This record gives sequence, structure tokens and C-alpha cells, in this order.
Amino acid sequence: MSAAAPARPLATLLAPIKGRMRAAVACQVASSALGLVPLVAVVEIGRLFLADAEPPGPGHAWALVAAAVVGAVAALAFAAAATLVSHHADNDMQLSVRRSLAQRLGSAPLGWFTAQGSGRVKKALHDDVSEVHSLVAHTLLDLASAVTVPLVALVYLFVVDWRLALVSVAVVATGVLLFARAMAGSMAKMADYAAAMNDVNAGVVEFVDGIGVVKHFGGQHRAHARFTRATDAFADFFASWSRSTMAPSVGSFLVLSAPVVTVVVTVAGTLFALQGWSAPLDVVAFALLAPALCAPMNVIGSRVQQLQAAGAAARRVTDLMALPTLPEGTARLPVGSRVVLDGVHFSYPATEEDTGNTEAVAGVDLVLEPGTVTALVGPSGAGKSTLAALLARFHDVTAGSITVGGADLRDIPTGELYRSIGFVFQDVQLLRTSIRDNIALSRPDAALREIEAAARAASIHERLAALPRGYDSVVGEDAHLSGGEAQRVSIARALLADPPVLVLDEATAFADPESEAAIQDALSALTRGRTLLVIAHRLATVTNADHIVVLDHGRVAQQGTHERLLAESGRYARLWAAQSTPDAGHDKETSR
Amino acid sequence: MMTSFLRALGPEHVGPIRARLALVLVVSALQGAVFALLVPVVAVLLGPDPAAVLPWVGALAGTTTVYAVLRALGLYANFSLGGSISRALHRRIGGHVVRLPLGWFTGARLGELNRTATSAVSQTMQVPVHIVPPLADAVVTPLVAVGVLAFYDWRLAAAAAVCAPLLWLAFRHGNAAVERNDAAVDAAGDEAAGRVLEYARAQPVLRAFGRVGTERSALDTALVAQHAAARRLLTRAVPAIVGFGFLVRLVFALLLVMAVYSALGGDLDAALLVGLLVLIARCIQPLGAAAELGAALRMARSGPDRINALLAVRPLPEPKTPADPPGSDIVFQDVSFAYGDGPDVLRDVSFTVAERSMTALVGPSGSGKTTVVRLLARFYDPTSGRITLGGADARAIGSDGVSERVAMVFQDVYLFDGSITDNIRVGRPGATDAEVARAATRAGLDPVLAELPKGADTRVGEGGVALSGGQKQRVSIARALLKDAPIIVLDEATAALDPENEAIVATAIGELARDRTLLVIAHRLGTVRNADQILFLDGRGIAERGTHDELLARDGRYADFLRSRERARGWRLTARPS
Repeated sequence: MSAAAPARPLATLLAPIKGRMRAAVACQVASSALGLVPLVAVVEIGRLFLADAEPPGPGHAWALVAAAVVGAVAALAFAAAATLVSHHADNDMQLSVRRSLAQRLGSAPLGWFTAQGSGRVKKALHDDVSEVHSLVAHTLLDLASAVTVPLVALVYLFVVDWRLALVSVAVVATGVLLFARAMAGSMAKMADYAAAMNDVNAGVVEFVDGIGVVKHFGGQHRAHARFTRATDAFADFFASWSRSTMAPSVGSFLVLSAPVVTVVVTVAGTLFALQGWSAPLDVVAFALLAPALCAPMNVIGSRVQQLQAAGAAARRVTDLMALPTLPEGTARLPVGSRVVLDGVHFSYPATEEDTGNTEAVAGVDLVLEPGTVTALVGPSGAGKSTLAALLARFHDVTAGSITVGGADLRDIPTGELYRSIGFVFQDVQLLRTSIRDNIALSRPDAALREIEAAARAASIHERLAALPRGYDSVVGEDAHLSGGEAQRVSIARALLADPPVLVLDEATAFADPESEAAIQDALSALTRGRTLLVIAHRLATVTNADHIVVLDHGRVAQQGTHERLLAESGRYARLWAAQSTPDAGHDKETSR
Repeated sequence: MMTSFLRALGPEHVGPIRARLALVLVVSALQGAVFALLVPVVAVLLGPDPAAVLPWVGALAGTTTVYAVLRALGLYANFSLGGSISRALHRRIGGHVVRLPLGWFTGARLGELNRTATSAVSQTMQVPVHIVPPLADAVVTPLVAVGVLAFYDWRLAAAAAVCAPLLWLAFRHGNAAVERNDAAVDAAGDEAAGRVLEYARAQPVLRAFGRVGTERSALDTALVAQHAAARRLLTRAVPAIVGFGFLVRLVFALLLVMAVYSALGGDLDAALLVGLLVLIARCIQPLGAAAELGAALRMARSGPDRINALLAVRPLPEPKTPADPPGSDIVFQDVSFAYGDGPDVLRDVSFTVAERSMTALVGPSGSGKTTVVRLLARFYDPTSGRITLGGADARAIGSDGVSERVAMVFQDVYLFDGSITDNIRVGRPGATDAEVARAATRAGLDPVLAELPKGADTRVGEGGVALSGGQKQRVSIARALLKDAPIIVLDEATAALDPENEAIVATAIGELARDRTLLVIAHRLGTVRNADQILFLDGRGIAERGTHDELLARDGRYADFLRSRERARGWRLTARPS
């Protein structure tokens, strides 16, 4: 499913709104041409008045005045139409790009999110897409004027006086050359600009998330070091960036500015007129129209930075659209709930930091028979959590296969997998939405009655019903839940999904010491009658398991029942002995 | 707009920036003079004696040269401002945010602060280069031109002078209309940004529950709302902007008609007519561009406004000369506290923790234990009552002083994306490598570091994703050890650790607690047994207090609470029907 990044990111983004953009550009071209009519009319009025010594016929003069006014108003109307059409097209494009980007990211391997950090995701989906706006809504139209206005004006000026026209062209050409140099200079640094901004973004995310630590350790007057570093680097970068392009930028701005252009052609025209090369009135035509040759360039000039940023942003957006996704299965649905892991290998993709590509799971064979409890035990880093993540298809196995009810995980449509396998994580994640929607995450259509039943079974109904708006209270707004309460909401969520297979982190039961008992009641309700895979930390909790699997360095070191493993006097027996010895600061461990 | 801009930058930058802005005004006025000189040049050139134009042309060329030099100087100065503006703004934002009470940092703040630190700052950086000069050109240049017009033809000048305030009103009116909708677009944008962050962070749970797409998601709703807000802005903004543009053209038409009428009547010389029309046409042009400028102006204002709004959030008051008491005993005296406008979490709570003694806070979820600890660390000030450390009020000691005295081991340990060494050094930024290494050893981190590919230089990822809970907590203990504060606050939530980790953490905590004043949110029986004092909180205040034995003998709330905890400890998993 991975598509190569397109060669022309902008063309790709604009394809769906091509027709509307063409219409907008056509309107802009009409507006630009009409905008010159009043200036030409003024010249013609002058010609009319200067032609004879006598005052001219009023009819002719008023016709020219009318032409000037109509031209000005029509130009405005066309410009407004161009703006409306392009902005609406741009707005529609932003929505559809954001939607398809979110959709696409939703099926990228989960590891991608951990590697990128949420700040980066937000930058792409929110900031970068907005950044393209100036390009679609403004710059294309500016380009249309930048071409039309000088072209029409030049034709007129050449007809009026070719020598003075050449002088104007020389001025404009100098300005454009300088402008191109400034553009090239800053274009080269655009990617660095985006990278520096990205670091500021990441610095803010960390600053806010870690604010407790920052405040407590950082002292009160010192912002978090990474934030400061990122923003200082940004300032330094920006300063050197603008220094390097300043001379051509200022030069082009000056050469193309209205006073300079007007004065150059006026002075040259006056000299030409005194030499008898040019008619004096033709000089007026140049004083009026020559600045028009450069005016659109100045509009673009002030947008250079936006334009470049937009180009770079468009590239990042299309790059993301081309992100490889987990292949979408369509073929099979599970029949039954037997889970089979067959020669499963997995290693995390190499990162810049860690190129030592060790396997997190190195050849695990395991069968979860329907209705049984299997416990994964072993030291931290043995691969317990990774194995669980593979069952959720957060990643695809590097080798081997995992099947549920006979269907390979990779063949099951991604939206269907959760019907077979449910998860209760140690880190609870509630969404900033109503309690009701949080519980009904897997089944948005569930009736309130069902949602309440799940909450009741998870021993949290009474607490939720007592919230200001009951189940409609919004998490983080009027529903402020403690860790243990949030944990029970997440258990209710799993209960409502009602999957035959459940993967559970046993630490969940002890995540919040305040409500241990309530969470455990909830978990007992949840696990009843399901095929269970438990990531176990306290051996005492899982001594009754049908099957205990001891993982070590991604491999199965031992497996069997509690009694059998104890008798083997291996790794498990050692772990058990360690846990059964009550240590000084501790409360006696209940080991019946 | 300018006041907002200058306020955002802070007082020390106002002086130099004012000078640069004054230069911009002078340059715009010079531009007006250049255009004004076109009138005599054209009039004389078209008149009976074209050769007489030369002195005027000389004046025109001279004025233009001065204009170009000053304009170049101004641009140079303003271009170089960008970097220092971003530095100044980021410093102010960072320095301010870190002083805000912790209660300010709710979920939606992240997206908001993100926008402030990135787009609001870049918008503000644009002000001196891309906003101020064209704005000055649109206002000052035509004003100078009207003055010159008066010299040649008072009627035209009077007409222009009457129209100017009307144009200004129309401009403001249009802008105000757009601004109102801009606020809605901004709010919709903030919401969407927040939802995008949530979407990225909640991926594990979204996927595990089959919500793989964005269909019917809060993110999609937010995106659609953002789209709708932008549409609304368009339908309202475009008519307002076109309205202003129409007025500008009306003014042009009026002046054109008046001039032609005068010329037809013979009141105006033909050559002068052309000269004046050139001036009018030259000055109408920047006015027409003002409509576009309005949008830029609003954007430019929203940046500084956003920053100012953030800077206006009040931090905790700090003393001018902080008290520096030598002792480390803690006294809560009739302390009450509520979060925002919520109900009281603590009401008239009083207790004393003697120097080098241990006090355990016990109680059910939501009973206020964490609040007590936060107040002690001065994340907030109490609503009423006072907290003293070593006899001095925490408000008199100041946040810095309190944070020097109190080291906290957090329940939710947050690690920054940096190396483990960096994360430990957070405890005391000046610490030497040897001191950091010693703290790591005492916190039981050595076995962890030995397993990592780069040892203590291993990067831990955003939020510390690369480390387990027990490992993170040990880093947090190492931080506190390094900090070496006389008061230790400890949240004893080690229950989620596996037993090997738990033993290590317990030892490390024992190490930390030696010879210090200790306030513990206690979960372990061993801890409460050893405590010099137990405070049992119940959501209003202290329900019971005493030593473990005294409270057990009383057989009240504390004893009840312990019994239910005991029951929970015997729990085990079974999938068999019970």
C-alpha cells in the first residue's frame, strides 16, 4: 500500500480543485487587465485636453471618465470573484486533505507515532495544511496578476513609445533579477526554517507535558531548557537567514518600488522629450503605467516567505500521504477464539539513536485455548508488552504469524479485529468527550442502558451517575476522574466491546492504590469466561493460570503450570522465591 | 495594533522599535513628496516651456534618492529585527508560563500554547517588515498628497479631505466585521489542533477498540467545524472588503469627475489637470491595496494579542526580598483550598510536621492528599490560611525558595526527551557528572543503565516512553537525591512495579529519606507503621490523626480503610466461572 511520494506535491494537492482554481485565475486575469483601464483613460483624457487650444467637446471627455470608472469597478468585481472562488476551493481542499491525512495516519504502524511524537503529527495535519493556504488562496492569483499586468501594460507602452518602454523593461528586469536572487537564497534555507519551527513545537509539547517537573526543579524563572534551546536556535537561524538574503531583498524592493520606477521613467522621459525623441504626453503615460509593471512583483515579494513555507509544507503533507501503512486485510473473519502464535519474530525499526537492531520477540510459539488464562511473566524488557502489542496489530510481525480463530491478523479487516481481541492497558487513555462516548468507543451505537450496565459491572456506575451531567459529562471539563476511576471506565469500555479474547496488563489492578479493591472487582467481572492473556508482574496474582509462560530476551524460557514450573527449579522458581521473601519496607506479601 | 505589538515585546524593546517606526513614517512622507513633485514636473513639461522643467526634475531625482537611501536603511534595520523579536517573545513566553500556577495547565492548553509559540510569534515577527511600511504608505502618503493638492486646487483637496475620514470609517468597520469571525476561526482552529494531538496520543486505545478511521470521531467533527467557520468568515469578510474597495473607487471617480468638470469649465489648466490626475492615480493605488492590508493587519494583531493574553494570566505573587528561614518543619494553619470555582477540597486543615520526622497522608481517592502535597510545593497558594516552612510563610519564602527546600518524587514521572543523565541533572542543573552518577547509583539505576545500549547517554523519548514505570521512578528519585533538599515529598505509588523493582525502589527511598523531613502519600503498611504521625484525610479535612497503633486502637475510619486494602491484596485472576 505504500505509494511513492509524488514528484509535484502541489499539483497532487490541487488536483481535486483544479477546475475552480482555473476559474479563479481567469477572473484574476480579467481583473488585472481591467485595472489598467483607468490609467489609460487618464492618459487619453490628457491627450484630449491637450490636443487643441480650445476646450474639447464634453461628450468625449465624459465617455473617457465613464470608461475609467467602469474599468475600476469591473476590476474590483472580478477580483472579488477570484478571491471568493479560490478561498472556498482552498477551504474545501484543507478539509479533505486533513481528513485523508488523518485516515492515513490511523493505519500507519503505531511505532510511527512514538517515533514522531504527537507534536509532529499536529504540525503536519494542522499547521502544514494551513500553510498551504496562502499558496492556493493568494499566491496563484498573485502570479496571475504578476504576469497579466506587466504584459498588458508593456504592450500598451511599446505602442506608445518603444524607447521609453525599453528603459522601463531595463528597470523591471534589474528588479526581477535581484528578486530571483533573494528568492533562491531564502528557498535554500526553507527546510531549515521548518525544522527549526518543528523543534520549537516539540519543545512546547515537552514543556507543557513536563510542566510539573519544570516548575519543581527548574526554578520559577527559567523556562524548560529544551524549549529555550529550541527557541534560541530558531532566533539565531532566523537572524542569519535574513542577513544572508537581506541585500538582494532590499535591492529588489527598492528597484521595484513605485517612486523609484516612476521617477526613473519620468526623468528619462523628460530628457527624451527635451531631445525631441518622445512626445511629452507619452512621458505621462509612462509615469502612470510603468509602476504597474512592478506592482504585482511587490505583492509577491512580501509573500516570498509564505510562498516558500507553503511549498515546503505541501511537500511534507504529500510525503505523509505516501507513508507506508499496515496492509489492510479484507479476506477473512475469525471463526472461534483460538489464538495461535507461530514462530513469531519482531524487531523495532532501527532509529537514529539505536541501530543495534535486537529482536524484541525472537521466535515465540504459543497457543491460547478458548476459555483459558495464560500469563506472561519475566523481567522488564523480556518482551511481554511487545508481544501484547503484536496481538493488537500495533505492529506486524517480522516473521512467523499470529492467527485468531484461524484467520491471520493481517487478513482481518482492521476495523474488525477488536471484535475478537480486547485490551485493557495500564496507561488509561480517556478522550476529551462524554463519558458515554468514552465507554461506547468500540460501539458508538450502543444504547445508554448497555453502557450503564457495563459501568455497573465495572463498579463505576454510581460515581459516573453523580457527575454534573451524568454520562454526558465531558472528560476534563466537568468529569474529573482519579486514576482508578478512569481505569474502571476503561474496563467498562472493554466490557461493552465484549471480545472473546482479552489481553490484560495485570498491573492495571494495582495502578491506583486508592481504588485497588474496586478495580479488582471490575476486572473479575471483565475476565469471567474469556480467553485471557495476562502480562503479569506479581506472580501471586496468576498462580491459578492454566498456563504460565516465562519470557526472557524475547524467547520462551519456560512454560507450564505454577506447580510444574516450581518443580523445574529454573528461572520461574527463582522469581517466585524473590517475590515471596518479604523485604524490610514492605508489607507482608500474601502468598497463600 | 502597535500598542499590542509593543506590549508583547516588553518595555525594554519599546525605545529602539519606536525609533525605527518613526523612520518608517518619515519614509512614507517622503514618498508622498516624490509623488507630489510629479505635479509640477508634468504640468511644466506639458506647458509652453518644457525646458523649464529641468530644476523640477532635479528636485524630483534628489528627493527620490533621499527616499531610497532612507527606505533601504529602514528595511535593513527592520529585517534584522526578526530574530531578536522571536528571541524576546519566546523568552517572555517561556519565562511567564513557567511561573503560572499548575492549575492553568489543562488539556486544551497544549494546543493553545503551541499556536502561541509558533504561529503567533511568526505573525508578530512580520509586523515591522511586512505590515508597518505598507500601512504607513497607505495612510501617510495620501495625506501628504492631499496637502499638496490643496496648494493647486482647494476644491479637489476639500473633496479628498472629506472622503478620507469616511474611507477610514469604512476600513475600520469592515475590519471589525472580519475580526469577529476571525475569532471564531481561531477558536475552531484551536479545537482542531487539540483534537489532532489527542488523536495522535490516543492511537493505541483507538485502534484497540476498532476506531481505526476518523469517521464519526471528535477529530472529524472538529475539522468540519473548522471548515464551517472558515466558510462563514468568507461570506462575511469578502463583502466587507469589497465594500471598502468600492468606496475607494468611488472617491477616485469623484475626484476625476470634479477635475474634468473644472477643466471643461476652463477653471483648470489642461497641463495642470494631467499633473493632478497623475498624483491622484498614484495615491489611490496604495489605498486600494489597503483592503488586502486589512487582512494582514488583523493577522498581525492576532499574533501579539494572543501573546499578550497569555502574558496577562497572573502568576503566583512573589516576594521582593524572599524570607530564608533555616529550619525545615512544616506547619499548615487553617488551610482551605478549592480548584478554580470548584468546591473546597481542603477546609481548615491544620497540622505540624516536626523537623526530620515522617508524616504519612492516608485516605481514599479524592480525599485531598495530592492537594496537600501540591500546596506544600506551592503549585498553588491556599484560598485561606497559611503554610509555613521553618516558621516563614511559603508566600514570603517565594516559589524559588520553596522549590529549593522541597524535593518531590512524583507519581506520574515525566521524563524529557534527552539522555538519562540530562533527566537526572534536572534536579540540580549545576551538578557535575560524578554527582549525577552517584545519584544514579544510590537510586538503584546502575543495573538499568548497564542494560541500555548507550548507558546513561541513552535518549528516553518524548515522555520517557523508552523506560518502564519502575525505571522512570528511579530516575525521579535520583533527581530528588541530586537536589538534596531538606524536605522530601513522596508519592508512594510503587504498587504497579514488579517485585524486583519494588524492592530496589524501596531501598532507594530509604536512602533519600535519611535525615530529612518527610511527607509521604502512603500506600504501604510498612510506611505507615514507621510514621511519626498519620493524617487520615476524607475529602474535607483531617478525619483522624495519630500513630498507627493509636489509630488501630481507636478502630475508626483508618482501621476500616486498612481492612479493605488487606482484602484487595489477596486478589488473584481466574478465568473460570466462579
